[in-house]
Amino acid sequence: MIRNLKELYQYRALLFALTARELKARYRASVLGFFWTFLNPTLNMLVYVLVFGVILSTSVERYPYFLFCGLIPWVFFASSILGGTTSVSDRKDLLTKVRFPAQVLPATVVATNLVNFLLSLPLLFLLGALYRDWPSWHLVFLVPVLLVQTFFTLAVTYLLSSLNVAFRDLQHIVANLVQMAFFLTPVLWNVENVSDVHRFGLHLSAQQMQDVILYANPMAAVMSAWRDIFYKHAAPQWQPLLVVAGVSLVLMWISSAVFERRREEFAELV
Amino acid sequence: MSAPTDAIVLRDVEKSFKKTSRRKDSTTLKTELVRLLTFQKKREDEPAQLIQALKGVNLRIPRGKTVGLVGRNGSGKSTLLKLVTGIYSPTRGSIEVHGRISALLELGAGFHPDFTGRENILINGIILGMSRAEVKARVEQIIEYAELGDFIDEPVRTYSSGMFMRLAFAVATHVDPEILIIDEILSVGDEHFARKSHAKMSEFRHGGKTILLVTHSLATVESWCDLAAWIDGGTVRMFGDPRQVVAEYRRAIAAAEAEAQKTGHSALSAPGLALPQTSSAPAASGTANVTGLRAQDASGASPEAFLTDGGLDVLIDYEVTPRAAVRFGVDLTSADGRLVFSLGHDAGELDGRGTVRLRLARLGLVDGTYELLATVSRAGEPPAPPHRLAVKVTGGALAGVVAPAHGWTVEPAATAARASGA
Repeated sequence: MIRNLKELYQYRALLFALTARELKARYRASVLGFFWTFLNPTLNMLVYVLVFGVILSTSVERYPYFLFCGLIPWVFFASSILGGTTSVSDRKDLLTKVRFPAQVLPATVVATNLVNFLLSLPLLFLLGALYRDWPSWHLVFLVPVLLVQTFFTLAVTYLLSSLNVAFRDLQHIVANLVQMAFFLTPVLWNVENVSDVHRFGLHLSAQQMQDVILYANPMAAVMSAWRDIFYKHAAPQWQPLLVVAGVSLVLMWISSAVFERRREEFAELV
Repeated sequence: MSAPTDAIVLRDVEKSFKKTSRRKDSTTLKTELVRLLTFQKKREDEPAQLIQALKGVNLRIPRGKTVGLVGRNGSGKSTLLKLVTGIYSPTRGSIEVHGRISALLELGAGFHPDFTGRENILINGIILGMSRAEVKARVEQIIEYAELGDFIDEPVRTYSSGMFMRLAFAVATHVDPEILIIDEILSVGDEHFARKSHAKMSEFRHGGKTILLVTHSLATVESWCDLAAWIDGGTVRMFGDPRQVVAEYRRAIAAAEAEAQKTGHSALSAPGLALPQTSSAPAASGTANVTGLRAQDASGASPEAFLTDGGLDVLIDYEVTPRAAVRFGVDLTSADGRLVFSLGHDAGELDGRGTVRLRLARLGLVDGTYELLATVSRAGEPPAPPHRLAVKVTGGALAGVVAPAHGWTVEPAATAARASGA
């Protein structure tokens, strides 16, 4: 893992150049390029607001803003995973023709989406301003939460991208899993509104259920932290985040090992 | 660190690939899961399903030398280059590389069509191993070299293929590598740029860089390389002086072609198959050798270049022991390896040393460099490897193969003559 990250640092010029190119390509292709990045989550948000806010009339206050607080980090995560899975298998041109450090490719996808995420934040604040909700000093927690999410995303992306070279149907499975995870993660709903569970012989209090969600699903902990920062203006719960950080570290170690082992056959299999 | 004398060292390098057709039924996650869930045993990788591209290659590329790799399609040349470059890793054996490598396996890797030439220079340069600052420092040099003019700030997708190649070649050669690896790309662009790229290659050579190049142009190997390696059927069949290697390679091709003509099938029809062995075993019963080979013009001099309309004498010094009936042979091949003519002469019984003279009253060849191959053989035995001599021809200046003795006469028809006459 250390070696993997060290090599990534060593090739940072390449990483920066490729990321810059991805961003430029996205924003140059059309005048709307820059807006497309925002249009997608905005339209998504409008649909969910219509369904959950209007039709099902959720009890969550300022629901569009609440939704956006979760949707923007989620888009960062989901786009990275989806794009990252095919990042190695799609670059036959680079891998078979030049000596190319493959680990830069998934990292480029994550970095590109990270920048997109940061660029979307003003939009989030703009929406908040409509509700007279101004960013508070809790914004300083953005740094550690973002670090944890990026590291976790990177670890997952490494694993998926290396496996997708040999198992090409993985990308379709991943697309479905991400969709599923979207509903299992508190993006649309508020983790604090979870009620008691008495089913299948299980009896959990609301508090216990919340803990299950926060500790079992790394992204739930991260999402909840984003809500704390942007929506509740509070310091995020640090215990679940710490667990996510630990999980990410272990996952990164596994991913790096898998990536490292499979890397030799990338050029032959892509 | 002391500089090793070898830039690249390959030791017993083997490389196998899994056969794609076989992989198909176990390459998806779905089938893997099904196999796992139904508790099937993992099928062993049978060795028969592996394609062995390289079967133990030992090669030392000395620092500062230009080394040409020749061999048929599928013989493993490109695999070898990819191993040296680090794109593939060897199945067995080790590869040592001392120095920064720039590989010109495919030009323009990672070029993005929507970006301008200038932007692509940056990204391509970094992909090829330069730092950002290095690329920035060389960008003007590269642009100037590529001769794209104002197009440098246009998207690459608007480029003609020649412009694209020129830009890509310009970036690749400005990486300033210590070891340059080239796969069949010396013919970039039009005549003018091809000359420029050749000049660039010369610059690399004289700058003490190590060059490893794969080409099917045997003339390039002969004229450019310090050493040549003939890769055949996944092994190094011959390594050494380029002229000798190329000659031996040509002989094997010719032998395979002859075999194909006789039997209808040969090693040539199957890609990657090793070529037949050429027989060069010395006769046990006695020897018949060519000890010298000279070419003279009609006046008995050996000029730098022979005239198309002039004569040429081929003098072959021979040595035959013991007395035996011998046959002399003289072949002439053009620079691209084609046989121009093949003459033979049964000289009867000879003993000891002597000289045999073949007189060509008029050479009748177009300008170029040719090669004379002289052999002597005892009756019923295959000849030893031929003696070779390069012959330069000038004065014909015709296109084509031969320069026939000729003269022009215009004979107008009688009516036309009357109409225009007097």
